[in-house]
Parts: sequence; C-alpha cells; structure tokens
Amino acid sequence: MDMEIAESVFQPPSNAETRAKVIVKNLTVYYSKFRALNEINLTAYDKKITAIIGPSGCGKSTLLRSFNRMNDLTPGCRMEGEITLEGENVLSPSMDVVSVRRRVGMVFQRPNPFPKSIYDNVAYGPRLYGIRHRSDLDEIVEHSLKSAALWDEVKDKLNQSGLSISGGQQQRLCIARALAVEPEIILMDEPASALDPISTLRIEELMQELKKNYTIIIVTHNMQQAARVSDYTAMMMIDDSRAGRMIEYDATNIIFTRPKDKRTEDYVTGRFG
Amino acid sequence: MNITDGQSHKERPPVRKTFETEIQQLKDEMLLLGSMVEQQIIGAVEALKKRDIEASRHIKEIDLQVNAKRYAIEEQVMIVIATQQPMAHDLRLLASILEVSGELERMGDYAKGIATVSIRIGDQPLLKPLIDIPRMAQIGTDMLHRALTAFINEDVESARTIPKQDDEVDGLYTQVYHELMMFVIQDPKTIERANWLLWVAHNLERVADRVSNICERTIFTATGEMKELESNSD
Repeated sequence: MDMEIAESVFQPPSNAETRAKVIVKNLTVYYSKFRALNEINLTAYDKKITAIIGPSGCGKSTLLRSFNRMNDLTPGCRMEGEITLEGENVLSPSMDVVSVRRRVGMVFQRPNPFPKSIYDNVAYGPRLYGIRHRSDLDEIVEHSLKSAALWDEVKDKLNQSGLSISGGQQQRLCIARALAVEPEIILMDEPASALDPISTLRIEELMQELKKNYTIIIVTHNMQQAARVSDYTAMMMIDDSRAGRMIEYDATNIIFTRPKDKRTEDYVTGRFG
Repeated sequence: MNITDGQSHKERPPVRKTFETEIQQLKDEMLLLGSMVEQQIIGAVEALKKRDIEASRHIKEIDLQVNAKRYAIEEQVMIVIATQQPMAHDLRLLASILEVSGELERMGDYAKGIATVSIRIGDQPLLKPLIDIPRMAQIGTDMLHRALTAFINEDVESARTIPKQDDEVDGLYTQVYHELMMFVIQDPKTIERANWLLWVAHNLERVADRVSNICERTIFTATGEMKELESNSD
C-alpha cells in the first residue's frame, strides 16, 4: 500500500516555539462502516492559531468536531486513536463530555445566537454551570463581550434579542458566548464564510486578540484567510477509499510560500492534479 | 493507495487558465526585456569599437525603452498579485520576475554607461585596440542568455553552474586593468583615456555579477531556497 504521506506531517512544525496543547495521535473516525478520517496526526500549540485546510469532503469538520466530542452526537460514529488535551485523553470513555465541551468551545459557520437577549446568550453557559449571582453574571457578560470586541456596540441594548443585531455582530456574540465559560481552546468551523468582507476582517483581527489567551483551531475554505490568521496550517485530502488524511503540516508561512508536498502546492495555488 | 482529491484528474482543463496565461505573458515580456538588454550591451561595445557616435546615441535611446518595459512588467506583476492572490510557487515566480526585471534594467544602465563613454571619447582615438573588452561583452551576454533560459525552464543545475563563468570575466577585467595601468605609468597624459576604458570594463564586469543574481532567483523560484551563489573567485 503506497501511502504518500509527507514526512513533515509527523514532525513538529519548523518554528515550533511553544508547548503542545492538544495532540492528535492516529485518529481514525468511522461513520458506521464508512471511514471518514484515517490515521490523523496533528499537534495544536498553546496560544497559537492552527488552520485546517483542504478540499470539500476531506474530513476537516469531522476532525474539528472530534476535539470536543461533537461527533458523539452523530449516530454510528466511532473514534479510534487518541486526542490528548493537556495530557488527558479526550476520547477516553471515562472522560466527562460536559467538561470537555466547557474546555473546548466552538463557533460555527452560521451565527447561531439563541432566540434570547444578548445578555442571556452570553450568560447561558455560566448559568448552566451554576453561576447565579447577578453581579457575577454581569461581570462575565461584560468581560466576554469585551473580549469578543462587541461590548461597545451592544452595551446599551443588552436586553435586545441576539437575533436583532447584524450577522457579523451575531458571530461575535457567539464567540462571546463561547468565551463566557472560560474555555482553553476555541474551535472555529468556517467562522466568517457567511459574513461580509469587513465583518470577516473583524473576526480575523479578533482572533489575533483571542490567541493571547486561547488556543484556536480553525477550519476554513478561504486560503487567504488561513494565510492571514494562522500560525500553523494542516493540509488534508481524501484517499482512494474517500477517507480524510493529513498530508502536510507546517508553519503557515512555509505552507503558503514553499510547501513540501506537491498536492499542497496544487491546492494552495488553486490547481488540482 | 494514492491520496487524491477524490476526482479524476485526467480530463479536466486547467483550473486557472487566465492566471496561467497572465504568468506566461509576463515570462515572455521578461525574455523580451532580456534580449533587448543583450542587444544593448553588444551594440554599446560595437559602437565604441567602431567609434560610431550615432550608434552610441541610439543605445542611449534604447535604454528609455528598456526602462519603460521594466516598469510595465513591474506594474503587471502588481496587478497579477492583487487580482490572483498567488501562493507558493506562483508567488515565488512573480517575486522573482520583479527582481530579475530590476537586474535587467540595471544591466541596460551599464550599456548606457558604455555608450556615454563612447560619446565622451568623441573624435579621440582609443588608447588601445579593443580585444578583451568585446570578449567580456560576449561572455557576459552569453551568460545572461543562458541564465534567462535557465530561469524560464527552472533549470536549477544550470543556474548553479552559470555563475562560475564569472571567473573568466573577472580574469579579463584584471588583465584590462593592468594593461591600462601600464599605459598610464608610461605616459600619465593617457590617464583620462585609460579611465574611460576602465569604466567600460568595470561595467561589463558588473553585468556578469548580476547574472549570478538572476541564477539565485531561478533556484529560489524552483526550490524556495534563497541564498547567495558564490563564484570560484569569491
């Protein structure tokens, strides 16, 4: 079996300067009999942005959803291998899924605020984890909205519906909602693909602010976005059995200027095959 | 088992036809600029040798066209970068085309310098018959021609060997220098005429040096490796 996997996939990126936050080791994911991901290896570094790129259907979102056990919600889904978060295996049956999802927050492609007030959207998670005092909640809401660069725009209308603000603001509200439970990692699945260019750039700028405190893993179809925002880039493709494979992983500036694998080169320059 | 994008590659047309056409046009324009500069250098030395002032003036006029073409290439590269967002190899190639057109334009300036010398010498006879200087021009333009071919073909092997020929040009330059110094020592009144020819030889020596820079860009485009090539004499 000729597995043409670039050696760089198994090496630490060439300018790795921080410690590993999450390590994916030989992750294989099945949906019933269909193998969606095949032997994925990846290390996401602490307080860095890791981008996952690759053509449609290559398993980027499946990989992303593995980090916080979102795949558990898909019937027939089975995961093999290991994902260690600070040394603890997220995939272990004894792992508390609720705690994993608190530590690993997620932002989706389309902004999905709850049909509640802006305040209640952000306070939702903390309330779920038992915070009841109004002053504590006020503080969390303000801090989270400030961290999501939304506070100044909504501070006078916290009681308005989360659905009443613009798409870009809604997405930042979803980021604030994710931050409110103090996660360590934020997963972003095409977080700007439904937004206009200015809102997109705002989210990208926000990511640079967020990475001072959080580790971010982002899936994106927009290669310029991956090049602009991320520190490391992982390139995925599907093999002949249509299972997703990791073919190259390196510092972003290397992936976009001198990738080692021909298929990465073809993908980032917009030419397949 | 090969990893593919899950579709057959065989019958598909190129995905980025417009972009590829634009890149091809830029390569063609760069080659055209290169051949203008080759002609300019050979022509400048010919005019000097034959004492043809009219031809020397013409060489200076050609330099305006060379400069204009260099700016046109630069502008077109900017447009392609802005509109096509090149990555990886494409980006390296476009960055190299910018650099190489700059090098070519400077080589054109050297030819213009030689034409200026020829015009200044005017009616005065040359200090000595020109033998080594045309030879320097011949080797330099030959190196340039091969360097541009290697650039277009991304021929890394040739790009590594072409700069070694710079030693020959350096050797001729040293020879011309010593010869001219002998004239000056024997008759200090020849100093101005010796100086003019030394200026010409120096310009030709610089042409060969700049060929090495083009070869460095060829290696960078093909491999992503950016480092200075050394000729044997370094």
